[in-house]
Amino acid sequence: MIVEFMRNKMVDVAHLDAETLSVHGVLTDSIYSLELDFKVRISDLVCSEVEGRWLRWTTPQCPRALTFLNEADGFCLAPGIDARIHKTMGRRACRHFANLFIECAYAVRETVKMLRWQAAVVSEPDLTLRDFIERGADDGSATSAEMQNPASSEETLASAVSASNGKASGKFPADVGQSSAGAAVGNQERGFVIDLHLHTAPASPCASSSVDEMIVEAKRIGLDGICLSDHNYLWSAEAVQALREKHNFLVLRVNEIVTEQGDMLVFGFYEDVQGIIRLAELKQRVAAVGGFIVAAHPFRGFLTFGADDVGLTPEKAMAREMFKWVDGVECLNGKVTVTENGLARHVATGLGLPATGGSDAHDVSTVGVCATAFESEIKSEEDLLAALKAGKYRPVNFR
Amino acid sequence: MSSNILNFSLNRCTSVDKVNGTDLLSVCRVRDTFTDAEIRIVVKMPDMEIVEISGHFRHAYLDAVEDLDSRLQKVLGVRVGTGMLKIIKGLLGEEENCDQLVYMVEECCHGIILTLTKKVLLKAPDDEVGKFAFYSNMVKKSIRLYDRCAGFGKGTPLVAELEAENGGGAA
Repeated sequence: MIVEFMRNKMVDVAHLDAETLSVHGVLTDSIYSLELDFKVRISDLVCSEVEGRWLRWTTPQCPRALTFLNEADGFCLAPGIDARIHKTMGRRACRHFANLFIECAYAVRETVKMLRWQAAVVSEPDLTLRDFIERGADDGSATSAEMQNPASSEETLASAVSASNGKASGKFPADVGQSSAGAAVGNQERGFVIDLHLHTAPASPCASSSVDEMIVEAKRIGLDGICLSDHNYLWSAEAVQALREKHNFLVLRVNEIVTEQGDMLVFGFYEDVQGIIRLAELKQRVAAVGGFIVAAHPFRGFLTFGADDVGLTPEKAMAREMFKWVDGVECLNGKVTVTENGLARHVATGLGLPATGGSDAHDVSTVGVCATAFESEIKSEEDLLAALKAGKYRPVNFR
Repeated sequence: MSSNILNFSLNRCTSVDKVNGTDLLSVCRVRDTFTDAEIRIVVKMPDMEIVEISGHFRHAYLDAVEDLDSRLQKVLGVRVGTGMLKIIKGLLGEEENCDQLVYMVEECCHGIILTLTKKVLLKAPDDEVGKFAFYSNMVKKSIRLYDRCAGFGKGTPLVAELEAENGGGAA
């Protein structure tokens, strides 16, 4: 048996002085080889002097990553830091350096636990590591964790919505779709165009534009409406109504729910589902209230290869269990490749399922890249649900 | 205290082998000062679906994961792909003694992805001009790469053609 791929990572942590640890990490695999060195203050887990080296890499531009590694200086390596490492070091520098840095952060936390236990054992010789951990005496990370989580997104979001309510003006739906640019509302040729899939900050931690910014942009480019589909965040009917009135624009809700089969856009279903739910169970609950499930980006691939590269044919794809449970398929998603959207279209057609489109925008630059054109005007979530079930719509490249 | 003597050391190895003709077996092993663990997954191709999973986990101060085997079985049917981490985490649990378990399943999945990535990268030419064209075309084909790392950052040489084709951006 010949190994197809191997990745080895090694991290070691040593005392530099009484207050400081030195950390050395190595990642070497079939594609990349790289190293990281930095220091950590034991008292608060804050790191400094982050430096890296490439030994093997791929693109001619990979060496640029090294110049961004020091952006991690000042990071507190307490639990919960991984997402920030992915978002900064992973995005600005390189995801493989981020992968190794996360491994190093874990090693630092484990080291500090052991050092604190060893210090406690001086006065309590019989204290076991397990007992020490269980009584929470190791927990120097509480303060650090707070430093990483200044406010929950729900709180921030509530404030944002509250602010929107305060400024609300005008009446919805009298001015639905009165956009200042784009084709006239209800134009039969273009249809009534709604971006059925977009994310806003801070409701979706991965988004970078606020709901107000997204709505302003949607109006500017001539969309007739948008659906807020924030991850594991269910907007209240009141908050959405306030946004409609504030902007004189059609703002609707869709519940993007994570299942073991992937993300589902669920219309007409307003349960706040947290965590992962089995698709079969979701279908049962959605059907009970007359909702509608669309499989979101069902063939979204990877960075360097897609469904076509692994030999997934439309016939094989159609046999996936997921398609037994959904009512429609997102066949035009702004974040996937033409090939992957094409495969989704092929599967939807083959199975006789209706096709929708949505930008999946996480910032204003991509709002409305893809959308769904309905044959008739939509004024409410009830209208939208009825239209989806009627099947009179098509996915469109809008922007 | 001597700076020559390590406080903590970690070794993690993830390897991927082909099994049953086309499927992939990914194994993640970790040994560090506190932990000794191994997770194995078999991924059915081309669906990239986890069809087998097993493992063991021993840790110096954390309790054993309750019903490790039955807990691991929850990820059967999950597809290795974008968004898999939140699915795996949600299915395995978010207790402290599951953190490392979740991470190891994720590492197994990354091994699968990198195995397939390696196959694509093997097609890159060795000469600098050819290599530049290869990666420049790669980001044009897969827009997801755009601005996802320093190598494909906004305004950098490998994305110049893509940005030019899209009037200065990649939207």
